Amino acid sequence: MSVIEVESLVKRYDDKLVVDNVTFTVEEGEIFGILGPNGAGKTTTVESISGLRRADSGRISVLGLDPHRDGAELKQRLGVQLQESQLPDRIKVWEALDLYSSFYRSPASWPDLLDQLGLAEKRNTAFAKLSGGQKQRLSIALALVGNPEIAILDELTTGLDPQARRDTWVLIEQLRDRGVTIVLVTHFMEEAERLADRVALIDSGKLIALDTPAGLVGRANHEQRIRFRPSVPVDEKLISELPEVTDVTRAGDQIVVTGVGNVLHALISLLARNQIIAEQLRVDQVTLDDAFVALTGRNLDTADTSQSPEETT
Amino acid sequence: MTALTKLTTVEAKLYAREPLTIFWGLAFPALLLVVIGLFFPGARDPSPELGGTRLVDLYAPIVLALGLATLAFATLPAVLATYRERGVLRRLSTTPVHPWRLVIAQLLVQLAVAVVAAILAIGVGNLFLDVPIPGNVVGFVVVFVLAAASMLAVGLLIGAVAPTMASGQGLGLAVYFPMLFFAGVYFPREVMADGLRRVSDLTPSGAAVQALQDTWSGLAPTTSSLLVMAAFTVGASVLAAAVFRWE
Repeated sequence: MSVIEVESLVKRYDDKLVVDNVTFTVEEGEIFGILGPNGAGKTTTVESISGLRRADSGRISVLGLDPHRDGAELKQRLGVQLQESQLPDRIKVWEALDLYSSFYRSPASWPDLLDQLGLAEKRNTAFAKLSGGQKQRLSIALALVGNPEIAILDELTTGLDPQARRDTWVLIEQLRDRGVTIVLVTHFMEEAERLADRVALIDSGKLIALDTPAGLVGRANHEQRIRFRPSVPVDEKLISELPEVTDVTRAGDQIVVTGVGNVLHALISLLARNQIIAEQLRVDQVTLDDAFVALTGRNLDTADTSQSPEETT
Repeated sequence: MTALTKLTTVEAKLYAREPLTIFWGLAFPALLLVVIGLFFPGARDPSPELGGTRLVDLYAPIVLALGLATLAFATLPAVLATYRERGVLRRLSTTPVHPWRLVIAQLLVQLAVAVVAAILAIGVGNLFLDVPIPGNVVGFVVVFVLAAASMLAVGLLIGAVAPTMASGQGLGLAVYFPMLFFAGVYFPREVMADGLRRVSDLTPSGAAVQALQDTWSGLAPTTSSLLVMAAFTVGASVLAAAVFRWE
């Protein structure tokens, strides 16, 4: 069953087309990833779903409700964690949760949330005194305190150290296991690959692809890349004559071989016949990163630098 | 508890955690009155230049207006702009509670602080400096609430648009100091030149001091002073509601 339906969504800021005819549905109970570089239109899309922005055209239905006409009802059932949204410095952790839980019809027990998010020891700590990871966890707790059916989490691990990021991922999975539908906005490939059941790839306001992470990877170039350091000098020509090999380049003392099909087997057999050992052998796996490059023609990381991380559009 | 009660309670707690704002908002009016009464030469004697009134009696309504101006222009816009800058208002708009309720909670807290500060100043003035209790009590209360409303409305308007805490503070102070001047903090309205005093009559703080003074001495407030305050209350709050930016 679809809990979110977005149809032909268009949003402009001034003359700039930020969301360009985006259509997708989110199914009940899944983790739906929205992936793309900063400035791709991800945040604007989820802000329109949350009723914070009015689309220029298109139709949005969330839990069968219109985010604008039925905003009050929808906000009872939708938890939103916004990028870059803070609390007053001197508010204590428990006060914030107690306050936000008073906004909802049937709130979750906030002391339980504190336990689940590992914030129980911090309940009397002022917001300003929390670490980045703790602030982020409090922010997630506030998004969940209303017992939402859908949680929208925007860039929730940005600025966290790797350990805190992994902890947060575990938390998201637990949340999904409790039956909450999760829309996860991210520009981290790894995050989408690890968590999302399906991923919408968005670039320059357009929906480029929508599939499972494995499905997206499958659409990417099927070429494999093999790097190794030959134990003795090897004639590159010998390698490039293999039918499976499409390209051979040299990077320092390493050789990088690109090929299709059974290229790894062919290469290793060739080296063995010539009594050459492939040292530091590495086969690059195709990742969502490669899929992004294959589908958009650019690298997610370089696409990122076009706008500062603070940019919320 | 309803969301508004809870929001107001939390805003009050947050206010109480800022020692500097407490000092300037709550204690300073009373303190200034004491300093004038005790350390200005002849402040407690009837002065022929002031038409036979005592300087300290003249300053009692002025320090009340100063207290209101401090809350409305030095505190409120900065708080609202900070909430906007840090996304507090935006986060609230994702919940069933509209951020207007946070703004209303903040106004209620400022109003409560204003009332306590006024009681403190009147009490201290009466106990230590023989400043009389306001003669026309009902009129005085009405005027005080209207004066608070008119200044808070102007502060709300500044806080409605200032994008950052720094700009909220800067804009607020740019209004604050002229307001103090027109209230007669630097020299009382009694010694202002006629033209200047007429300008002062048209400002919320000048009108407030005039009306507080009248009701303090047992008279009714002048219609023009009430009209000026009412006009600022309605005009500024309607405008603030129209232009308020949540992010």
